Amino acid sequence: MNRYRIIPRLFLPALWLAGCGQQTPTLHIFNWADYIKPALVERFEREHGCRVVIDTFESNESMYNKLKAGATGYDLIFPSSYMVELMAAQGMLRQLDHSLLPNLVHIDQAMMVYATDPLCTYSVPYMMSNAGIAYRADKLGTIEATWAVFDRADLKGRMTLLNDYRETIGAALKFLGYSLNTTNDAELAQARDVVIRWKKNIAKLESEQYKNGIASGEFLLVHGYNGDLMQVISENTNVVYVTPKEGVSISCDHMVIPATAREVKLAHAFINFMLDPQVAAENTAFVHFLCPNKTAYQYLSDELRNDPAIFLPQDILAKSEVIKYLGPADAKYRVMWDAIKAAE
Amino acid sequence: MKRSPLPLLTTLLVLVFFYLPIAVLVANSFNASRFGGTWEGFSLRWYSRLWHEREIWHAFRNTMLVATTATLVSTILGTSAAFALHRYHSRLQRFHYALIYTPLVIPEILMGMSLLLFFVALKIQLGLFTIFLAHVTFCISYVAMVVLARLQDFDFAIVEAAMDLGAGWWTTLWRVLVPLLAPGILAGALLAFTLSIDDFVISFFVAGPGSTTLPIRIYSMIKFGATPLINALSTILLVFTFLVVLLTHHLTREHHS
Amino acid sequence: MAPSRRTLHEILVTTPSFVWLSVLFCVPTLIVFAMTFKPADMYGGLGPGWTLETLRHLANPNYPAIIWRTIWLSAAATLISLVLSIPMAYYIARATPGLRNALLLLTIVPFWTNFLIRIFAWKILLHPEGFLKRALVAAGIIAPDTSLLYNPEAVLVVMVYTYLPFAILPIYAAAEKFDFHLLEAAMDLGASRLTAFRKVFLPGIRRGILTAFLMVFIPSLGSYVIPDVVGGPNSEMIGNKIAQRVFVDRNLPHASGLSAFLTLAVLVPLAVVWVVQKRTSGQPPTMQEVA
Repeated sequence: MNRYRIIPRLFLPALWLAGCGQQTPTLHIFNWADYIKPALVERFEREHGCRVVIDTFESNESMYNKLKAGATGYDLIFPSSYMVELMAAQGMLRQLDHSLLPNLVHIDQAMMVYATDPLCTYSVPYMMSNAGIAYRADKLGTIEATWAVFDRADLKGRMTLLNDYRETIGAALKFLGYSLNTTNDAELAQARDVVIRWKKNIAKLESEQYKNGIASGEFLLVHGYNGDLMQVISENTNVVYVTPKEGVSISCDHMVIPATAREVKLAHAFINFMLDPQVAAENTAFVHFLCPNKTAYQYLSDELRNDPAIFLPQDILAKSEVIKYLGPADAKYRVMWDAIKAAE
Repeated sequence: MKRSPLPLLTTLLVLVFFYLPIAVLVANSFNASRFGGTWEGFSLRWYSRLWHEREIWHAFRNTMLVATTATLVSTILGTSAAFALHRYHSRLQRFHYALIYTPLVIPEILMGMSLLLFFVALKIQLGLFTIFLAHVTFCISYVAMVVLARLQDFDFAIVEAAMDLGAGWWTTLWRVLVPLLAPGILAGALLAFTLSIDDFVISFFVAGPGSTTLPIRIYSMIKFGATPLINALSTILLVFTFLVVLLTHHLTREHHS
Repeated sequence: MAPSRRTLHEILVTTPSFVWLSVLFCVPTLIVFAMTFKPADMYGGLGPGWTLETLRHLANPNYPAIIWRTIWLSAAATLISLVLSIPMAYYIARATPGLRNALLLLTIVPFWTNFLIRIFAWKILLHPEGFLKRALVAAGIIAPDTSLLYNPEAVLVVMVYTYLPFAILPIYAAAEKFDFHLLEAAMDLGASRLTAFRKVFLPGIRRGILTAFLMVFIPSLGSYVIPDVVGGPNSEMIGNKIAQRVFVDRNLPHASGLSAFLTLAVLVPLAVVWVVQKRTSGQPPTMQEVA
């Protein structure tokens, strides 16, 4: 008879596990890694009596594909501007209710030229970033801020480029003096050859491990986002971040609510919370990206306010561009990327 | 007669090959240095940090939930499949055997890919439930094979004897068959449990919002570089694995003697 | 037992697993094949109608390099695994019971250890500033700027590391049943040690070797995580391309086409082994030895 009793006992752990945490409302966020100060998330949870679950994605495309593949449970997502355009065009986003977002007044209108949705119909700008170069000054000394550095054969096997076709082809286009949104075939072909040449010198096309790689000395020079690399620098002063003189890509990540969101009110509350000037300043100090929140600037430390990696110098800003959604021409970049990856 | 030293040397070489990376990993989990590489003194701080990582606990809970339920279902289905394969030799069973056998040799990425397309086509919300379905699918075959191996040295005369003595079908099943085959079924269940806890590729393809399992979490930690934390987590899992293997070994040894 | 009751019972125990695997294994696999013939739309969905566009795309000049790399890395990993596991299985099979148990346990522990952790351990070991690199440089074996990670060789080493237990266990299972007196008899009859090993021992454990071949070669073909973590810009394998098509390009027909190709690539060696086995023993190889 004992054997009959064992079966329900086997079920027990499963029931216990399933029963946890189902009463409180849960906000599901889909975001880049290390992109929000955890203490702020905890504060939001306390203030709103909810749980926040954050899943991370590694690129706009992988996020988009997860959604397309049927991941419908997210309430708040942080895509870059070109992806906001694509998602809005496909009816994947919910129109924002501005009456729930009183903190919208703090947004720095001067920065809205880089946003794709200046009226914030679908999206609210969260952070602005640029993709430049970081290197180990203790091993390499001081080097010139130029994309040409990827031609240095003496750094073979110790450098990385971003595993992102728009960023890396974009860097080659900037190096050649072209627009990183070009659809001109001749310019693109030149850029392809440059990336194939660079590929011989790099260890890896890498979008995630470069942070730890440069911190641990595995890589000596990496292509990456300013905020990510500034986080590394704050812990390891041997690392230096520079923006190449030929110009860089600027991107703006936005907070959007997908059409399929369940906790719409809570998602609005979270956006409004992140727009609070003091919260925004605290978050900026943690992630080291530029939060386009005008009222928040006064709460930033002098060091952050004067950091050229966050607030780009005018001459570089003039040569820099936002990565735009190219519509059908996007396929040209994808085909090139395949050819680059296959090249020996 | 003198034996060749080659087999011994190869064995030693393979063992060093097996354990050198693991030893370095375990040693590094006690390294105070944040970035690995150089030794900066003994420290347990990564273990205490690990204790406070909420995301890991969340992932651990998901993994355990999927593993327990998937093990339970796949053990039942796999055991019954093994019975069918052992007892009957019809044309249906030849089909059945091929159906059980093929998932064992199909690369994981193919199974992940095909299940993803399947769930998308049926508009099933991706999440813990789809991970559970996927895990049961690959665990059935393993359980069936393990139980089938045990059935091979099982004498069905006992079953007939029990029935001749007047025991009903149900009584025979619970009082005779299951207890006798318990070690085999348990070994199959244990294998299913381990495979479920371990699976990354298939889970990665069919995961949805909030359904991050421990291997998916470990993968993103590897990618985003929380190195010392993974070292500590790995060491804990290694100790756990070692205990499970010892336990299984013990169980099967009992069975043999 | 009456035949009808017997049939009923057979259906009862067969149906659950049969239905489950038909729905969640066969149907999805067929969907993959079918999707190869659907057109892709710009937004990562599927277009209407049917097309051979994807098949034409498989002739894309970028693919042969990746396919060739996948095959040679898998073949090399299989060969190295067999070369290492045959002498080791021989040694374990001839060891005293106590030692044999200890050795088996030591082989099973890495086999049961989390797959990602095993790969990660290699990343630590081969770190450019790690102790192994420094030791090799100090010993003058490699130059200071040689990179141990992020190349096809690193992928190969980690593949062997991952799949070696899958080779040792079935070969050991076969060797355990082998009658070692045969070896001595052969040598008494004048065969050299090597000849006896080659002509008597290897055929005796043939079944184990074939199972080991499948257990290493097939999962190697589908490798995705290993080249992703320890591979470099020139270590991409078919698995990575499938993942890229699914997660980055969102081109499901292309992903399906590659998957269908890989499925066929897996089924060919499987069928060959199956036929060979059938001629010798009448039963296909199984996983029993491993579990």
